Amino acid sequence: MWLPRWPITVWRRRSAAPPEGPAALVIAERGVRKLHAVNAAAGAAGLFLGQKAADAGALVPGLVLDEADPAGDDAALERLVDACCRFSPAVAKDAPDGLFLDIDGVAHLWGGEEGLLEDLLARLASQGVEARAAIADTAGAAWAMARFGDAPLSSLPIAALRLDPQDAAQLLRLGITKIAQLKDLPRAGLTKRFGKMALMRLDQALGTYPEALAYRRPPTPWFERLCLVEPVSTPEDIARIAADLAGLMCERLAMSERAARRFEIAFHRVDGQVARIALGLSRPGREAKILTRLIARKLEGVDPGFGIEAATIVAWEVEIRRAAQTALAETQTEKDGAAVGALIDSLSNRLGAHRVWRARAHQSHVPERAVLRAPAGEAPGPGWDPDLPRPLRLFRRPEPVEVMALLPDDPPVQFRWRGRLHRVRLSEGPERIGDEWWRRAIETVSTGRLRDYYRVEDETGGRYWLFRSGLEGGRWWLHGVF
Amino acid sequence: MSNLATLRAQIAAVEAGTRGPSKVLPFGDPAVDGCFPGGGLPLGAWHEITADGMEAEIGAALAAFVARLLPSLPQVLFRGDVVWVMRRDDLYPPGLAFLGFPAERLIQVRAENDEEALGVLEEALACRGIAAAVGEVEEVPLTAGRRLQLACERGGGAGFVINRRPWGLAGRRGSASGSAAASRWKIAPAPSLPGEGGLGFGPLRWNVELNRCRGGRPGSWIFEEAGHGPHPFRVAAEVADHGLAPPLRRSA
Repeated sequence: MWLPRWPITVWRRRSAAPPEGPAALVIAERGVRKLHAVNAAAGAAGLFLGQKAADAGALVPGLVLDEADPAGDDAALERLVDACCRFSPAVAKDAPDGLFLDIDGVAHLWGGEEGLLEDLLARLASQGVEARAAIADTAGAAWAMARFGDAPLSSLPIAALRLDPQDAAQLLRLGITKIAQLKDLPRAGLTKRFGKMALMRLDQALGTYPEALAYRRPPTPWFERLCLVEPVSTPEDIARIAADLAGLMCERLAMSERAARRFEIAFHRVDGQVARIALGLSRPGREAKILTRLIARKLEGVDPGFGIEAATIVAWEVEIRRAAQTALAETQTEKDGAAVGALIDSLSNRLGAHRVWRARAHQSHVPERAVLRAPAGEAPGPGWDPDLPRPLRLFRRPEPVEVMALLPDDPPVQFRWRGRLHRVRLSEGPERIGDEWWRRAIETVSTGRLRDYYRVEDETGGRYWLFRSGLEGGRWWLHGVF
Repeated sequence: MSNLATLRAQIAAVEAGTRGPSKVLPFGDPAVDGCFPGGGLPLGAWHEITADGMEAEIGAALAAFVARLLPSLPQVLFRGDVVWVMRRDDLYPPGLAFLGFPAERLIQVRAENDEEALGVLEEALACRGIAAAVGEVEEVPLTAGRRLQLACERGGGAGFVINRRPWGLAGRRGSASGSAAASRWKIAPAPSLPGEGGLGFGPLRWNVELNRCRGGRPGSWIFEEAGHGPHPFRVAAEVADHGLAPPLRRSA
């Protein structure tokens, strides 16, 4: 699909009152303001891309000029890719002004390729998007036909081959204007002169050389869609659609004995916007009931706009899960495990997976590195040494304290933390914790990174974990409270 | 005779306002157990743990008290995960392990605000597989407290709410009454005795005040962590007859 004058389309949709007369967007290129895009009226007046803005203004008196926004155009193209996912799961962006849709196996939903094309163009036209599209067996041929008309590939000019502009100009200079002429030339000579690229583009258009497209979503067979006759917008209807989709997907997963960890539902709105919700499970699942419950919580964030006319569901991280024989009497442990799994799923989906975790021991004696955060759904890992005195609250950053000790190597007698004086009654230590020297460059290893930890109890009974950094005269820090 | 005991428990439960007689955790000391209608800390309910001053901000002695208490709960001892909901995620699992808590069975959740924390706590308590849930919030409104109680009865887990003030804020405390908690404790660290041979630390001690207890009466003691055994704490002294803190020990 080709979107001629895409920057102009985006600009017209963005600006409040687009002018009817000639208009152009300019971009500064090496200090010279040049035309980046022109609308149909300006094109008819003889303006062309790359023309100096001052010249253009002189040629066409009523010309409206505005700044071009390539980044905004690209973002708009991304949104269009999202919107086109309602036609096919595999949509690739073809910057700066095109899209590829892989419609293999989906065209029948529109009663054939023609129907799909018609629907696609009609929808774009209703949104004021100028577009031309063609269906072909290869991406290269479709690209050519969308831009240069529906004709046999051989009769199209060589510009339809997505060649390097320099190569194309050189070929024209040699008198080769049609693809048919290029096809007849000896391949060895061509490669020598123009490099591999020219021939590769030709072969890609003809289908003898594969072309990899970077699809927006990696293709997955776990895709289901629901199309609605009438757009819906009430929360109940949306919830029902979501439940139906979940049911469809779970049925398919169950048929092939699979289960998935992640699901994504996309609601396609009438105005081309897409609202997405994503779900994650702590263990692979295919229970429509559980899925529906998780979805229902997220539906509040879905804005139906003027109505939702289609919805799709995709499953990711699909794994094999054989149907288990249901036990006559489920054991209490199994029931509890399932209940905890459901709780973790519900919390992780509501709060975000990074806010629900299970701590896991890590082999390190540096206190702040001894704990790793693992997903809460994982099985419990090994624990910590219960004989090692460690505080209950560990500060992310040790806090500086003023300390008085009788001798430099002695435990502190009193310390001041946050403006309050603590007299030490009892103390234990030191526990010397060294730097993990193997983790950094050998030159930076020094005794300055040693820490001598003391456990101290003040006269109210509060227990603190203090350390002195370095061997002598180091500063004192409070790292945690017991 | 056992009929009489059952009847008593039922009456106590009705007085306490819970649906049925719930299991209790005895402390093993008649002075403490006598304060509770069921002869021990009720388990299918939630308890509020509070503190004063800096301790309400740091929350270390509170957490230590709860962490020491939890492994004695039968449901934690034998099965089930424990959920700990925090607004400030400075809980350090190796420290829990040091107190004898099965830290690998802990699921930690960070909440953005009190409402969210209470919501998570309620959901966790209502879950059958969760043995106990601990939440660190600033205060529990009455409605939220009742919801927590219902969740406890549904799920059968024990709930503990640690009243913890956000760092550096003046706090909006003061609503000590009207809470739906089964009991309300005030905890402060207490000076411990020196360890064996005058070296190091003795067992942890807490100044414990039972401020409110549904169907029971208040009391205050000094608790000391007990060694291995069925009970988590030992009563070191009744507050009425305890003297001054043990004398200061100067290091040489």
